[in-house]
Amino acid sequence: MEKRSILHMLDPMPNNSPFDINMALDAGFDVLMPYSNVKLDKVHGLTQDAIFSRSPSGVKRTGIFIGGRDLGLAVDMLDATKQAMVPPFEVSVFADPSGAFTTAAALVACVEKALKEKHGKELKDCTAIVFGGTGPVGIATGVIASLAGADTTLADHLSIDTALDVAKEYNRRFGCNLRGTCASSEADKARLVATTDLVFCTAKAGIQVLSADVLAEATRLKVAGDVNAVPPLGIAGIKRSDSGAPLLHAVSAEGAVGVGALAIGNVKYQLQHELLESMLKTDKPLYLDFRDAFNKAREIL
Amino acid sequence: MEKPFILHMLTTAKNLSPFDVNMAMDAGWVSAIPYTNVEPSEVQGLVQDAIFSRSQKNLKRTGIFIGGRDTKQAMDMLKAAKRSMVPPFEVSVFADPSGAFTTAAGMVAAVERELITKFNTTLEGKNILALGGTGPVGQAAAVIAAQAGANVRIIGRQLEKAQHIADMCNSEFGDDKITVSAGADADKAEYIKTADVVFATGAAGIELLSAELIASAPQLKVAADVNAVPPAGIAGVDAFHNGTAIAGSKSGAVGIGALAIGNVKYQAQNRLLKKMIESDRPVYLHFEHAFEVARDYIKATA
Repeated sequence: MEKRSILHMLDPMPNNSPFDINMALDAGFDVLMPYSNVKLDKVHGLTQDAIFSRSPSGVKRTGIFIGGRDLGLAVDMLDATKQAMVPPFEVSVFADPSGAFTTAAALVACVEKALKEKHGKELKDCTAIVFGGTGPVGIATGVIASLAGADTTLADHLSIDTALDVAKEYNRRFGCNLRGTCASSEADKARLVATTDLVFCTAKAGIQVLSADVLAEATRLKVAGDVNAVPPLGIAGIKRSDSGAPLLHAVSAEGAVGVGALAIGNVKYQLQHELLESMLKTDKPLYLDFRDAFNKAREIL
Repeated sequence: MEKPFILHMLTTAKNLSPFDVNMAMDAGWVSAIPYTNVEPSEVQGLVQDAIFSRSQKNLKRTGIFIGGRDTKQAMDMLKAAKRSMVPPFEVSVFADPSGAFTTAAGMVAAVERELITKFNTTLEGKNILALGGTGPVGQAAAVIAAQAGANVRIIGRQLEKAQHIADMCNSEFGDDKITVSAGADADKAEYIKTADVVFATGAAGIELLSAELIASAPQLKVAADVNAVPPAGIAGVDAFHNGTAIAGSKSGAVGIGALAIGNVKYQAQNRLLKKMIESDRPVYLHFEHAFEVARDYIKATA
């Protein structure tokens, strides 16, 4: 009998994300094992424990998933698993903290597609603001957009210091060129929206970030994407299923369009599903992070 | 291929109860995933994570179980979970902290059966003493019985605490439509004189009702004890009793022991876990639903 497939789900947080659990089971893993409160220095031991208890054919039916809320830590944990492998005892590893990598990859890829289709432009021609830019999805969005060439600024809703620190840290880590700013008042937001080409809205669920008044200030906005699926949505006038639909309240920005949370969610879903499935199908072990997620998202679109 | 049935099991405690995990698997859930040390404030995030990763069709194959030890906290978490749904992204939720809701439902339903079959009466208007009733099972049993029309008094060692629990039962669980009262353990000799039914829901190994008090109860009909560990919570009622006459009762009272209650509890919990799977629309299940299915089970086996 073929051995059951096992996904060891390592998480630095007290609990795994139910989102990832559903996704992993739906992608075909037979058994999920949650490991919570996992510290970086435990990853080596856990990885070696996982690889040495199955034969080389059995390790193909074994995978490691890395969750959490911290993007940098997740990438460090992914690196730690890689260093712990002892070929041929080696398994695939996929890092997607809070689903941030796949959500961000889907968001940027959807916005990129709308930008190309509606405005004939590339990310590298554009400036971008990431609202909620210091959370897991926001940072991943910023890093992906910046690496794809967009002049990208992370906006924190409380503190410019936080935004600047995060930008600096991730620029050093991934060689991108993020800026940081603060957008706490309507005036701050209006000033930022007035001159940007792209808006990525990655703030908390159920919070409206951009009101109709703020959107009215936009003059060269081309595409805005919103990952918030819980009403009120992040951008006034956007619909969850919008995929390149006109942005009603951006009255001074000609041709501005929006991409809503369900449109992004569909791509994210497919993306995470395919990446998880690829861990089961592959002959050679895979190490998947946000870069792989973005490549896959572009492929899907 | 059909997607697997996934039950996300949330508890405020350090670990899930293995009882609940076995029950979930046996009811047909394929994966039971633990979330431990969950703060009530984290419920919304966990619920929304769970609902947005499956299609509507497969959300029917997804559920949330709320364990823990505290009844009010579990009910609050159930309400928070319900509020967090974003229809049509919605899943069924079942709260059964420490198994207390289904245990209480099993006990009250078994007591009701004895009242009907042996005494040709119902819970309506009966005087019930919930001894050791300040814990989770006592609270839920008091509310269920009060909702069925009984006059329930929660008895605790400290009157003040018992009163506080009774107030909470009335306002939090009974929507202020029931009036559970309180009494001190020291006064139970007085209360037993007018009691029709006794629930013993104290800690294991403590005798809550002595043989003398049983003998001094002129209208006692049914005494139920959830404690399976000797000494019995009610003198003369052992774990195997199931409508068995209590030796020394002058009113002809019968006893229901822990194993008889446990059997109905098992059936109730099993049915609710299955209901989550079978229901076409999301359901939010707690002690009231546990009592409904416990009654159904008893009717079906009558």
